[in-house]
Amino acid sequence: MTSFLQYTIFGVILGAGFAVAATGLVVTYTTSGVFNFAHGAVGMIAAFGYWELVANHHVPVVWALVIILAVGAPIAGALVERVLMRHLHGASAERPIMVTLGLLVILTGVATIVWTPSRQYELNPIVSGSFRLASINLQYQQVLTIGIAIVLVIGLRFLFSSTRTGVGLRAVVDDPSLLAMSGASPDAMSQYGWILGFIMAALAGVLLALTQEQTGISIVAMTLLVVNGYAAAIVGRLKNIPVTFIAAIVIGLAEDYIIYYLLPHLSQSLNSDITLALPMVFLFIALVMLPSVRLRAVGRLSTVRVPRMPNGKESLVGGAVFIGLAVVASLVLSGVMIKGTDLLNLGGEIMALGIVGLSLVLLTGYSGQVSLCQFSFMGIGAFLMGKIAGGGSLLGLLAAALICAALGALVALPTLRLRSLYFALATFAFADAVNQGFFQDSRVFGAGLNVGRIVLPGLSFGGNRAEFLLVSVVFVLLALLVLLIRRSLFGRRLVAMNDSPAAYATVGLNPAVTKVAAFAIAAAMAGVAGGLYATVNQTIGSSDFDFFSGIIFVLFVTVWSIRTVSGAFLAAVTYVVLTTYWSKGLGLVAGAGIILIGRAANGVIGIDRVSTLLPLPWVRRAARSGGGGAPANSGALPIGGEARVAG
Amino acid sequence: MTEDGLPALTVSQVSVSFGGVAALTDVNLVVWPGTVTGLIGPNGAGKTTLFNVISGLQEADRGTVHFFDTDMTGMKPYRRARLGLARTFQLLELFGTLTAGENVQVGLDSTVKWWQWGHFRQAFSRSRDPLPAGDAPAGSGGAGGSEAPAVSPGDRLLAEVGLAGKSEEQANAMPTGLARNVELARGLAIGPRLLLLDEPGSGLDEDESRALGALLVRLASNGMAVLLVEHDMSLVMGICDKIDVLDFGHVIATGTPEEIRSHPAVQAAYLGAGSTDDAHSRDVAP
Repeated sequence: MTSFLQYTIFGVILGAGFAVAATGLVVTYTTSGVFNFAHGAVGMIAAFGYWELVANHHVPVVWALVIILAVGAPIAGALVERVLMRHLHGASAERPIMVTLGLLVILTGVATIVWTPSRQYELNPIVSGSFRLASINLQYQQVLTIGIAIVLVIGLRFLFSSTRTGVGLRAVVDDPSLLAMSGASPDAMSQYGWILGFIMAALAGVLLALTQEQTGISIVAMTLLVVNGYAAAIVGRLKNIPVTFIAAIVIGLAEDYIIYYLLPHLSQSLNSDITLALPMVFLFIALVMLPSVRLRAVGRLSTVRVPRMPNGKESLVGGAVFIGLAVVASLVLSGVMIKGTDLLNLGGEIMALGIVGLSLVLLTGYSGQVSLCQFSFMGIGAFLMGKIAGGGSLLGLLAAALICAALGALVALPTLRLRSLYFALATFAFADAVNQGFFQDSRVFGAGLNVGRIVLPGLSFGGNRAEFLLVSVVFVLLALLVLLIRRSLFGRRLVAMNDSPAAYATVGLNPAVTKVAAFAIAAAMAGVAGGLYATVNQTIGSSDFDFFSGIIFVLFVTVWSIRTVSGAFLAAVTYVVLTTYWSKGLGLVAGAGIILIGRAANGVIGIDRVSTLLPLPWVRRAARSGGGGAPANSGALPIGGEARVAG
Repeated sequence: MTEDGLPALTVSQVSVSFGGVAALTDVNLVVWPGTVTGLIGPNGAGKTTLFNVISGLQEADRGTVHFFDTDMTGMKPYRRARLGLARTFQLLELFGTLTAGENVQVGLDSTVKWWQWGHFRQAFSRSRDPLPAGDAPAGSGGAGGSEAPAVSPGDRLLAEVGLAGKSEEQANAMPTGLARNVELARGLAIGPRLLLLDEPGSGLDEDESRALGALLVRLASNGMAVLLVEHDMSLVMGICDKIDVLDFGHVIATGTPEEIRSHPAVQAAYLGAGSTDDAHSRDVAP
C-alpha cells in the first residue's frame, strides 16, 4: 500500500511537469494557431542551460532561473515570432509544421555541438531538503513542481477567460484584422503568446529535468520527455487548459504505474524499449481517441502557384537523360574515393534516399498529408530485405513494398479522420515509437544487419557500378510513376482533396479512401527505398533510420521543393553528402534552410524573387517598391508564370 | 419505389444551434424537380447553415432531410453527392491549384473507383456527359452541333457557364466571378438531380447574371431541382418558381415571387417592422 501511494505521488509529480509542458503548448496554439513541434527542444535547451549555469558556472539557482525564464526564454520567443512565425499567418497547414520542425532540429543540432549527446547530465534541485508524509519521503522540489503546475493552470485559465489581454490573445488567431480594429495590435498579441509559450516550455524543461535525478538528462531523452506533454495537450484539444492539466496528471500516473508495476515482469531489453516508447504511445492513443474532424467550408482559397507538370513525353525524355547521366557517372566515378567513401556507393544511397523523397512528393506535395515516418517504413523495408530469403533477394524487395503498404494503411486508418496537424503528430508518434520500440532493440539490427546485393538470373549486381545503375533505374521508374500518378485521375484527386476537403466530399468523393491509398503507396515506396538502401550499403544499423534523421530529410525535401521530383532528388543529394561528410551540421543546415525558405511554398526550385527567399523587412520593402513582393500576411507567394518549373 | 411525384428535397423540422445561438429553428422546406426555388433572407438568417445541413457538412440537432424517398439525415457528404446532390459555396471552395478544366474533370470522373484503370487514362475521352445533348451552347461544339469539332464534356461544361477557352487557367488565379462559374461547372459535372447554389451571382456583372439565370431555367426545364440562395433580387424574382424566406433561422414566408414581394413579414424582415421606405424596398423588388 505504501509503495502504491509512493508511486501515485511520484506519478502526480511527473504529471505536474507534463502539465506545465502541455499548457505551454496550448498557450502557443491558442495564441498563434501553430503547434510548436520545437516545444520539447526549447525545454531541453532550458534544462541544459540550467545545468550550464548552476553546475558548470556555479551561478546561484535563483539567478539561473531568472536568466533562463525572464531573459532567455522571452527573448527567444519574441525572436521566433518575429522572424519565423509572423510571415506564416494564413499559410497552408504544412508550413508552420515544417518551420517548427526546423526549429526543433536546429535546437537539437546546437545542443549536440555544445553538449555531449552520449553523456548524462545531473542537475542541482531548485530547492533542497525533504520531509515525510504518511511514511513517504517527499522532496520540497517535488512539491514545488506540483505547486507551480497548479498556480499556472489557475492563472492561465483566469488570463484567457477573464482579462482583456487574454481575450486579445485568443482573438488574434481567429481574425487579426478584426482585433486591430478594436485597437489592439495583432502582432504584439501574437508575440506575447510566443513569449508566454517559450517561458512555459523552458519552465517545463527545467522542472521535468529535475524529476530525472536518478538518471540525469541527455539531449534526445530530454527533448522527448516533454513530448509527454503533447499527449495531454491533444486530450485537451489544444485549447482546454483544465482538461489538459488533468490529462497530464493521468499520463504521469499511467507512466509511473507502467514503469513500476508492469515493466519489472518483462525482459530487460523490452523494458527499456517500452519506457522510451511510452511518450509516443500515449500521444498516438490520444490522437486515435480524438473525435472525427467535421469537414468545413473555410472559404480560404489556396494561393500557391504550382510548378508546371511535365507531360508524358517530357517525363520520358527527362528519365532517359537521367539514366544516361547515371551511366556516365558510373564510368567516371568508378573506384573514386573521397575521405574513404566510394562515390558510387554514395550515389546509390542518394538514389535510394531519392525514392523516399518521391514518396514525400506524392504524399505531402500532392495530397498535403505531412508524414514524419517515411524513414520508419524505410527502416522496416531494409530490415525485411535483410531477413527474407537470405537477404539480397527480389522477394525481400517485394515483401518490403507489400508489408510497408499494409503498415502504412494501418497507421493511416485510425488517424485519417483527423486534421493535417494531428495526422502529422500521429506519424511523429509512430516514427519515434518504431525507432525506440523496434529499431533500437538489439535483436533487430544488432551490431549491423548484413544484406547481400540483389542477384537475378543471369545478372549480378555485386559490383558498385551495377548496383548504382540498378538503383538509379528504379529511382527513374518510380519518378515516372509519381509523375504519371500526378497526371492521372488519382493525382488530380490527391491535389483536389488537399485544396478543399469540403468541396472534395461534395462532388461525391470519399477523402478517407484517397488518403489511405496515398499513404499506402508512399509507405510502399519508402519500403522499397529501404530495401535498396540496404543492398547498397550491405550493412545497416538502427542509426541509418533514426527518428531525427527522418525529420531532417523531410525538411530537406521541403527546402528544395516537395512538389517536384527534382526536389526529391536534390534533397537526397544534400542529405547523403552532409551525412557522409559533415553529420554534425546536418540538423543545422536543414533547420536553417527551412527557416529561410519557410515562405516559399514551392521551395528553392520555385523561387523567382529574392524577397521570397529572405523574409527580412528591408528586402521585402525593396521588393515591394520595385513592384514585387507578396502581401505581408497573405501566405501567398509571388511566383509568376515565368517561375514555373518542370517537375 | 418510383420517385415520380416526390419532391427532390424535403427538409422537415430542422433545427441547429451553435452554443446558445439558434441558427435554424424547425425549418421546413420542399424543392420540386424541374423548378428553381429561391431561398432568401437577410445576412445571418441561416441560409448557408441550411445548405450545410442539406449537403451534410453540418449536423442538425434535430429534424430530417430527404432526397426523393431517401432519408439523407446523418449521411456523409460524399454519399449525398453520389445520390445526385451538388452544391456551390458562398465563400469559394475551389481546387485552387488545379486548372479550371481539372476542377470540372474531378467532378466528371467522380464515379471512377480508385482501383480502376480509368485513373491512368486521359479521362476526358471516357467521361459521362452530364448535360442533355440539346443544351450545348451555340458555337461550343457540344453534342448538339453535328458540324462542329468534338469537344470534351469538361470543355462543354465550362463553355456552358461562360468559361470557353479557360480550361487551362489555374483556378486560384481567376477573378472571383469566373471562379464561381468554375464551381458551378464542377457541380454540374457530377450530373446532379438537385443543385444547391450559394450566391452564385455575386461578382457577376449584369450580362453574366442574366446568362446565369437563363442557364438555371434551362437546367430546371430538363428536370433538375435548383435551390438558389442569392442576394440579387432581380435574378431571384426573375427565375424562381417558388421562394422561401428565412429570418433568424425561421421560415417566415413561402410563395411565388409575387406573393413574396408583397408579403408583410418579408417586408418587415428586410426593412424593419412597420417601415414603408420605398427607397429600401428595392432590396426585395426586382
